[in-house]
Amino acid sequence: MELLKKYPKLFQWLFLLIVFFALCFSIDVPETYKFIRGQAEFIKDPNQSTYTLFGKEVRYYAFDVLWRLPPLLGWLPIWVNDSLFFLLNEWMPMEFWNEDTQEFKTRPLVLQITRNITAFMTFLIELIREILLGGVKTVVAFSSWDWIDKNPWAELPGLPWTIVTAGAVILGYKLSGKGLAIFAGLVMIYISVFGQWKPSMQTLSFILVAAPLSFIFGLTLGVMAYKSKRVEKALYPILLVMQTMPQYAVLVPAMVLFGIGDHAAVIITMVVAIPPMILLTLLGLRAVSSEVIEAGKMSGCNNWQLMTKVLIPTARRDILIGVNQVIMVCFSMAVIAAFIGAKGLGWNLLLALNQLNIGLALEAGLCISMIAILLDKMSLAWANKQEDYFGNLTFFQRYKNTLFFAGAVLIGAILAYAGSFLFKDSFNYFSEIPHNKGISFADFWNKGVDWIWDTFFQTLKIFNTWLITEVLQPMRALYLRMPAVATVVLVVGAGYIIGGIRSALVTAGLVLFIALSPWWDRALVTTYMATFGVIASCTIGLTVGTLCQQNQYTTKFMLAVCDIFQTFPSFVYLIPVMMLFGITDTSVLIAVIVYATIPATRYTIEGLRSVPTALHDAASMSGVTKLQRLINIEFPIAFPHMMLGVNQTIVFALFMVIIGAFIGTEDLGQYILKALSDKAGGGKGLILGICVAFIALIFDNLIRTWVQKRKKHLGID
Amino acid sequence: MLQGSNLNKLKKLPEPVKKFGGLVTITFVVILSFAILNIFWGGGEELIEKMKKEEERIAEAKKLSELISSLPSGVLVSFEGTDDHRLSEEQYEVVCNATKIVSQRSVMGANLINFKAHKIYTINGNKIDETFVKWDKEKNKCFAGFVVSGNNVGVNETITVSGEALSFFNTGIDTRVYFIKNF
Repeated sequence: MELLKKYPKLFQWLFLLIVFFALCFSIDVPETYKFIRGQAEFIKDPNQSTYTLFGKEVRYYAFDVLWRLPPLLGWLPIWVNDSLFFLLNEWMPMEFWNEDTQEFKTRPLVLQITRNITAFMTFLIELIREILLGGVKTVVAFSSWDWIDKNPWAELPGLPWTIVTAGAVILGYKLSGKGLAIFAGLVMIYISVFGQWKPSMQTLSFILVAAPLSFIFGLTLGVMAYKSKRVEKALYPILLVMQTMPQYAVLVPAMVLFGIGDHAAVIITMVVAIPPMILLTLLGLRAVSSEVIEAGKMSGCNNWQLMTKVLIPTARRDILIGVNQVIMVCFSMAVIAAFIGAKGLGWNLLLALNQLNIGLALEAGLCISMIAILLDKMSLAWANKQEDYFGNLTFFQRYKNTLFFAGAVLIGAILAYAGSFLFKDSFNYFSEIPHNKGISFADFWNKGVDWIWDTFFQTLKIFNTWLITEVLQPMRALYLRMPAVATVVLVVGAGYIIGGIRSALVTAGLVLFIALSPWWDRALVTTYMATFGVIASCTIGLTVGTLCQQNQYTTKFMLAVCDIFQTFPSFVYLIPVMMLFGITDTSVLIAVIVYATIPATRYTIEGLRSVPTALHDAASMSGVTKLQRLINIEFPIAFPHMMLGVNQTIVFALFMVIIGAFIGTEDLGQYILKALSDKAGGGKGLILGICVAFIALIFDNLIRTWVQKRKKHLGID
Repeated sequence: MLQGSNLNKLKKLPEPVKKFGGLVTITFVVILSFAILNIFWGGGEELIEKMKKEEERIAEAKKLSELISSLPSGVLVSFEGTDDHRLSEEQYEVVCNATKIVSQRSVMGANLINFKAHKIYTINGNKIDETFVKWDKEKNKCFAGFVVSGNNVGVNETITVSGEALSFFNTGIDTRVYFIKNF
């Protein structure tokens, strides 16, 4: 009893592990276990049992429940699908005026709304695309094809690349000075010279629609959540799930509602980009001190004035960091949205990866990454830039950037006009360098890949085989060998030990949702792949972060590297690993490790940096060595912060595992990918996405609860 | 009174012990819930037997489909004297067991000889009630047949036509009875 009082947690964990392993060893694998795959595939088999819930018949293999729970939630995807179908095709039919046929037509309300949103989005995208690249559709929207045939001068010419480049340089200079201006110039020249102008502008047009709309909706909802507790409470679970849900999974229901194309991509991007904007708006508004609010009230502000003149300007930095996040999410979605037909760099990248043309994929990937870094730097510079409210500036000082841009537009237009004479018989290179006329190193990269394969094939094959047969397959078998009851006991018990009964109930709810879905086995495979990635990433991140933190220059360097890597859209990580390891599980896992190492490294550095210098001094005064200080003082204090890094690492790893389905894994991601090409895949895609989100939320709940308690215990809350 | 004093005793227990007790209880509750669910939803030995049989059937079907894909596409016969592929004794049995479909052509051919069956088949709208393909172990021959009835048009007569299946048609995916010798 005394020992139990002295080491309570140790005994609790010991008890839990003993029960877990006892259950694992005492429950045998059913002889016909392989049939369980049928549950995930929704096949029909006379051996299956059936049950009916809410009018939906669900088939399943009745197993030993202690081994695997029956898919009692199997009706949910079918119900979601049917509901979507009902909403789109049957619910509330109304008479709507049809402009084309000039008569009223009966259509269900939701279908009409989705078609109107689609038309609006398509118009916005076309408008921006035609400003950047030229075209006639926008003018036709306000006139007619006959009119444009008679007036060919009305066709929008498209901005020459020189003008856009000059604009980016001037904007970079205004926001952050020479460094960013030079970088902006180099990026724009690179994408133009390498013939990526058109796809880049297509991507940019899609982002220029999605980002502002996400900002507006995110800000509005953030303000509403700040003003009303009810709204906040209603939004909180959605935000939580959306933060951990793989972006892939959202594609499927959106495709059902809005079809495929750029407009659907914009809508889906907004769905993914709005949650971080809401959270950062809320965070910024909450951080406004009560004194500032009081001062606003004392000055006689009404509610609207208080919000627009006091709260939002004071929370400006956090809100602009939200804009930065929105842009980054938009970029990561640019590639994923290509799955539902978004044009641009993402589409080219996907096409190149499909053809295994690594050279072309690398060029498109590099382009996306460079634009993402540029926009990241610009938006961060905007967030950090202080407004000079009191500067007594002359007209030129105040408007010099506008004047410079006007000059650039003039020069660019003259150059483009001159180019039309200079390159009379070929393309006007001063306006746009076409894809096939730009410089391309694709062949060089492809030959490089061939050389790598020729030279290192044997070594890579040996490594691949070793990793798959000696590490991955046994680990996978171990995960699949866990009976459902043992897994639930472990998760719920861990929740109880870490956070008490409340945490135990939350984790129980989350794990039971997955266990009662038809994809428990696939969820275990997803968790195994993510676990492998997390263990490797945390080991690397912890080591690299700790070593770099020892010196301020290496710290700065590593944080900058993390910054850059974090801006790369997740799909880009697949390119180098496919170059080296081809289409195998190893490729996915290496991509997972590289991608998930970023937060592990960053949080390790930031955690160690957060240790107060007074403690360093006190330790040095006590005569401890550097290693002793690191192990006995810095690690224990930084550990809660580092655990938040582990939390992020898990989310990143799960995202990448799901994206890895593109290469060919057997986890939940593969089923999401299948749902994308399934006519009735909307429900499946959504529920699969929720399953992934719930895996992340289980870890999130456990880690966050532990961190809070630990911080309280250490007095650093 | 006794309950109250027990509750007080529990309340007075040290926090780690209470927490440990809670963990044991929660573990017990989870296992018990699964055990109860097992009573309602768990599959018994019967299902495992059924599944094993299903597994055997799938393995057999796979073996047969491998054999079928190894045979040339087109007409397979069990007798000499034609240009078609002649089945060996062993192949004949396997193909017979693998065949599930009795083709329309073979039905029409068999009906030519059976006048009554032909008549019912014509008036009932060319409807076949049931078909079968069986391997007769005693005679070492494959028999195929079909059942026609006029129930759907008010004729109270059912006829079973059967005969030796002498040729099959291999589509590359499956085999079908091509000729029934019922004379």
